[in-house]
Formats: sequence, C-alpha cells, structure tokens
Amino acid sequence: MILRYTFQRLLMLIPVSFSISVVIFMIVYLLPGDPIDNLLRVGSSPEDRAELVAQYGLDRNLVVQYFVWIGNMFQGEFGQAIVLRRPVADLVAQNLPYSLTLGGLAFLFSSTVGMTLGTISAIVRHPVLDRFMRGFILLGSTVPGFWLALLLILFFSVNLGWFPVSGAGGWKSLVLPVLTIGFGGVALVARVTRVALLDAQREDFVTLLHAKGLSSRTILFRHLMPHALLPVVTILALRIGWILGGAVTVEFVFGRPGLGSLLIRALGQRDYPVVQACLLMLALAVMLGTLIGDVAQASMDPRIRERKA
Amino acid sequence: MRYSTKTQLLSGSAIVAAGLLFSAAAMAQNVSVAFSASELGATAYNPVAASTLNTATSLIYDRLVEQDADQSYHPHLATSWEETADGMAWTFSLLEGVTFHDDTPFNAAAVQSWIASYAGTENEYLVEAIGSVDVIDDLTVRFNMDRPEPNLLYNLASAFMGIPSPTAFAELGDNFGVTAAVGTGPYELQSFEIGLETVLVRNEDYIWGSDLSENTGPGHIETFTFREIPDQSTAFLELRTGGIDLLLGVPTDFLQILEAEANIQIIQMPGVGISYMPINVTAPPFDNILVRQATGMAIDQEGIVAAIYNGVGAPAHNFLISSLPEADVDPDLNVTYNPARAGELLDEAGWVMGDDGVRVMGDERLTVSLYTANTTELTRLTQVVQAQLGEIGMEAIITVFDSSTIRDEYRNNAHQLAVRSYDWNNSDILDWFFSGNRLGYPNVSMWEDEEGQRLNDVAMTESSTSAERIANFTAYHEYVLSQHLFVPIYQPTQNIAFNATSISVPDPVRGSRFRGQSFMDIQVVE
Repeated sequence: MILRYTFQRLLMLIPVSFSISVVIFMIVYLLPGDPIDNLLRVGSSPEDRAELVAQYGLDRNLVVQYFVWIGNMFQGEFGQAIVLRRPVADLVAQNLPYSLTLGGLAFLFSSTVGMTLGTISAIVRHPVLDRFMRGFILLGSTVPGFWLALLLILFFSVNLGWFPVSGAGGWKSLVLPVLTIGFGGVALVARVTRVALLDAQREDFVTLLHAKGLSSRTILFRHLMPHALLPVVTILALRIGWILGGAVTVEFVFGRPGLGSLLIRALGQRDYPVVQACLLMLALAVMLGTLIGDVAQASMDPRIRERKA
Repeated sequence: MRYSTKTQLLSGSAIVAAGLLFSAAAMAQNVSVAFSASELGATAYNPVAASTLNTATSLIYDRLVEQDADQSYHPHLATSWEETADGMAWTFSLLEGVTFHDDTPFNAAAVQSWIASYAGTENEYLVEAIGSVDVIDDLTVRFNMDRPEPNLLYNLASAFMGIPSPTAFAELGDNFGVTAAVGTGPYELQSFEIGLETVLVRNEDYIWGSDLSENTGPGHIETFTFREIPDQSTAFLELRTGGIDLLLGVPTDFLQILEAEANIQIIQMPGVGISYMPINVTAPPFDNILVRQATGMAIDQEGIVAAIYNGVGAPAHNFLISSLPEADVDPDLNVTYNPARAGELLDEAGWVMGDDGVRVMGDERLTVSLYTANTTELTRLTQVVQAQLGEIGMEAIITVFDSSTIRDEYRNNAHQLAVRSYDWNNSDILDWFFSGNRLGYPNVSMWEDEEGQRLNDVAMTESSTSAERIANFTAYHEYVLSQHLFVPIYQPTQNIAFNATSISVPDPVRGSRFRGQSFMDIQVVE
C-alpha cells in the first residue's frame, strides 16, 4: 500500500516539476538587467552585442531555448556561466557540499533539540518552565538571523575566542552558523511538538490508557508521540527545502560559500544559467522534502494513505 | 676540555638549529588578508581581459613600470625607457634573467605577444595608441605609436597591465586566470575558489622586485591567503580576533573603534576616487542648467565629511582627486555649498517655495528621483543628500537598486539623480563618464555636447606631451564643471588596518595603492 502511495506521489511530481521548470526558465527573463550587458565592452556596437547574444543562444525562440535547456538539464549539463565564466556544474559542485553540510546539521539540530524541548514543555507542567518555553519560542520565531549571528560572533568568537568569526575551514567554523540557522527551527519545532502533544493528551484514548493502568512513560512514548509526530513531520519536511537555500543571510555574515550565496551573486550579475541551476536545485529540494514528508506521514498514519490512495 | 668543547659545539649547534627552526617557522608563516568591499567578486586573475581585479593580482604579475605615490614612475621589468621627441616611438630595455612561473623566459617576444593579446578585450583602450611592437633584440622592444600617448607610463603601471606568460596564456585560452594564472610576480597562484579565497605561495626564484620595495628578493611570507568576506562587520571582527592579519579597505565608520584596539595599527593613504551625484541633463527639471547649478549648491560637502565620515577624508569640489594636477581648476568653477544662492537660482528658474517646503511651478511639485546602489556607505550618504536637497525645496525620493538593475535604469534613461562613486587616479576618468559615446552608462549624466566632445577628443588623443595633456584635460574638466553635470561630494582615504602583534607593514607605503610592492616588505612579528 505504501509503495503504491509513494509511486502515485512520484507521478504527481512530474507535472509539478514541469511547471516549476517553466517558471524558473521564464522568471530570469522577467528580471531587469541582462548578462550580455555585463560582458559587453562599454561603447560596443549593436553588432558586437548581437554576436554575443548569438554565442550564448539567447537569440533563439524562447520555447526552443527552454527545450534545449531542459534537455541539457536531464543530461546533467548545466551549461557555462556567462559572467562567472566557468561550467555551472563546477560552481554548483563547489558550493553544494557547504550548503548540504550547514543545512543538514542545522536541520538535525533544530529537529532533535526542538522536539526534546517541545516534549519537555508539554509534559512538565510548571508555570516557570512554561513561561520560559513560551518566551524562548517567541524569541526564536522573531529574532532576525543576521542579528543573532552577530550576537553569537561577539559572544563566542570575540569575547570567549572559542570559534572563528567566519570562514569555512574545519568543524569549528560550522558551530555558530548551525546555531544561528537552527535557533529559529528549534523554536518552531518545539512549538509544534508542544501543541501537538498537548492536543493529543486531551484525546479520549489517553484517558482510556490511563484507566487501563499504563504508565505515563508508556503512554507518552508508545501512544502520544506517534500521534503528535504527524504535524511535526510536516513542518520538518517543509524545512528540508531550507537546507539548501535558507542560509543566505547566514552565509553572508559568516563569509561562507554555499548555494544561497552563489544564487545571490549570480542574480546580481544576471548570470542566467547559474540562476536557473540554483533555483532548480532549490525547487528540487523543496519537492523532495514534501515527498518525504507525505510518505512519512502516510507510513505513520494509515488513514492518510487509505484516503489518498 | 674535550667534553667542554663537545658541549660547546653541541650547544652551538643547538642554537644554530633552533635559530634555523625559528627562522624557518617565521618564514613558513601564512598571512591572512581580507579584500576590501570594492575588490570582492573578481572572477579571474587575467589582467588582459578581466574588468575587475583584486590586490592579489599585483603579486602574481609584474609590470614594466611602477607608479609611486608622488605619481613618479619607477623601473621594474623595464629597466629604462626612451621616448622619441615627437612621441611616436617608445623604446624599453627589459630586465635580464626574469622567468615566468612556468619557467619560460620573459623577453621582448613575450612583451610583443602580450601587447597584441589586448586586441578585442575590455582593456584594449590601454594599448590603443600603440600601432605595433618591434623586437629589437631579446631584451629591447620598441612601441611604434599611432599617436603620441603621454599617458602610456600610467597605463603600463596599471594592474590591468600585469604581464602573463605567453605560453600559458595561449594554452589556457578562456581558462587563463581561472584554472591557473602564470606571471613573473613574487607569488604564484596556488588555489582560487571564486567568492571564497585565493592562496598565493612564494616564488622562491624571485629576485627582481622594484625599488618601491626594500626587499627585492623572494617575499618574507611563504603564503598569503586572501579571503573574500562580504560583510564588513565580520571582516572587522576577524581582524580584532586575529582571524586575519591585514584588512584592506577599512570602512571609515570602523576607524575610531579600531584605533582604540591596542594590537591594531591603521595606515591611511590618499584616496583614489570620489563619491558624487550625477545629474541626468535630459530629464526635466534638470534640462534647465539653473536647476542643476542650484542642486550642486544644496550639497554641504564639508558637513557631510564631518557628520558621516568623522572628519576622515576630504570634501570633493570637482570631479578629480585633488592630487591630480587637472583638479586645479578655476576656483569659481568648483562646486561649493551655497543654499541661499541655490534658492535664488530655483526662483529664477520658476520654482517657487510651496507652503509645505517643497517648491512648485504651477501645479507641479519639485519632486525628483534619487537612485543609489545597495551598499551601506552609499545608502547613508544618499539619505543625507536627500535631506540637504530638501533644504532648498527639492523633494528627492530614494530608490535603492542592485548594481545590475541600476545600470539598466541608466541605460533606459529612467533616472534623474544618483549617488555613485568611482576609484581611478587619472584624469581620463572624465572621458569615461562624460564622453557622448557612452550615454546611459557610464555617461550617467546623459550629456552629449559638441564642444564637450571636441575638448574630450583633444585631451584624449591630441596631447603630445605630459604638460599638454594636463592643460587639455584641465580645459575639458573646466568645461564639464561649467555645465553642472554632477555634484562632487566626498574624497575618501584608503584605510588599511593590520594586526601589529602578528605582522609588520612597511611605513610609509610606497605606490599609489597598497599592493604588491608593499606586500613584499610585510614580515612576521616574532
């Protein structure tokens, strides 16, 4: 049943991917600015411009350009960056590991810490702890990343000297960026976990379990957690897309490379092939996250796969 | 005795060994450098074709001549040069025994092919007066000129005229400067990760430094790691915490804080550019010269230097940096703050003060657009300019663009006023920004004028001697000023900060910028 459901979800991704690829392809043409302007010598003639436009295939019909582009993408051929003058695949390959490492660790951090804090705040009914958790969640949801990053740098790098201020060399350089990105995620996951557990505790079956004489620990881990995990999984799945592209500000402040930084740089220079490749990677990550979330939910809740299958 | 001698010998050997180890440790040390904000984003170390180069380029490539801070020219790969009386030929004697990093020889043939390689590139203008290059012998070349070019030595001293290995240049093609960069400089390119860092390693064979450095042999430092740190606050904190040793281009805002740090020393050098506000002369109401003149008089340059830049740097009253002789124009043409006169000029132009402090002409309000690019320093300056324009009854609406979009706006003639800056220490910058051949960008003023173009052409192509060139550019500069095409605002200083507990930096700094010649004299402090 779950395999059939997964297959159906995969099939649904085909039209979604097609639509996204069209949007990504077209969106760069709607941007003001032109990569050819960045390449042209000042004072160049219209003929020089036409030559460059032809060289990069920008003189062809948009539909033709799209199919050439998508065909190349299927073969893993991302083309040549117009302004950065390198194969786009090289640029992506250079930046992707940094994004995956940072985003992956931040995801892991926010998931584990968030779920732990959310669970503690739901089961330990103490007004002081409750107020602390509410404050923490509010802070985590509202503090801007760049501000938190500077605060962490000032405290941990400048005052204590524990971690480097910036850069991408070694595990130490990952700690502060992971904390910065993870902080918002921790608050979000903690809030969702807390609400889901509190809601689940009010269900009739919990009263029945208590009446049957099950211990609180058994009820929590065997019955409440799987029930409460459904919304948490949804939130976590949506954050998978963030792993690749959600760290732009943090990459900027900590001077780290990454897909987000590459996208911003390419956007500034209107380097179409790079922008398109980066956006495609980010869109794929979001789609993959959604798919994983859906499948995970279905595997945890038979009602979902039965309803949708 | 024997024991004693042996002990002494052992002790002596130990001291020598320790000394050698100590010296080796010092020599092996890496120095970390952060580029200034204006140097970020270089995509290739290719002086021939690149439009953006950074300081590391000056360590990979040597030039024929070097320019000192006093604008004098010094021999480097050219030991001497001679110009014919009519300016139609230059003969250069080349330094013997110089080799590129790929062990190919530097000689007259290399110079010949190097000059030819500029054809069709962004930087072709640097050599466009050179008709041909003759190889006289292995170490002598003659440049046959199409016209006299008194600016030739300036061009040859430019970072864009670093000399690459002809062999590597031909072999690598478009990848030259990307996958490898081969010059004759004191450091070789070890790695280049675009947007992240560049690592240079010492050229052990280097013995041909120019006289702008005390050290003409191999560099004292084994490796330089140049880092691109996009956020200036982060770069500043890296310097404070010892993450980097040298910060090129310290923002003026940070100077006071850095001065308070015991381990940080700051070097201030004269600036090589200005911040200014171009006026689009084709966009009403600025098609009226009286409105343009009034706009210039609204800006309080001295007040801006004091308020925004804490008194560091200097006010700009014309388009060129004050160290250039062509900046010495008729004082009446300099743009100075005079709000009362600005008000009179606007009255004369028909713009009368409205009840709400904004001038009007009939039903039309004096509301204009004020563009700027998204850098913190320019944004702050633009806000102050907006306030000062408001004082004379001109309501300016600020729009902040990224650098690519703003160029498009200029090209589409969609702008009225803009706040910009440039870095260039030569009067030919006037041609770049005001030639009628470059309307939109870089001629943001959209100025097309017959007399202006004539004066431009004379200055650019008809000057035979340096004195003549100065006179011609001064005349062109004065004419540009008389047309009120822009408002000069600020001349920044070049600020360099270093960690004095880790490195020593030559003082005073030679050259017009802090580049290769100064890096040669950087030493590790033990």
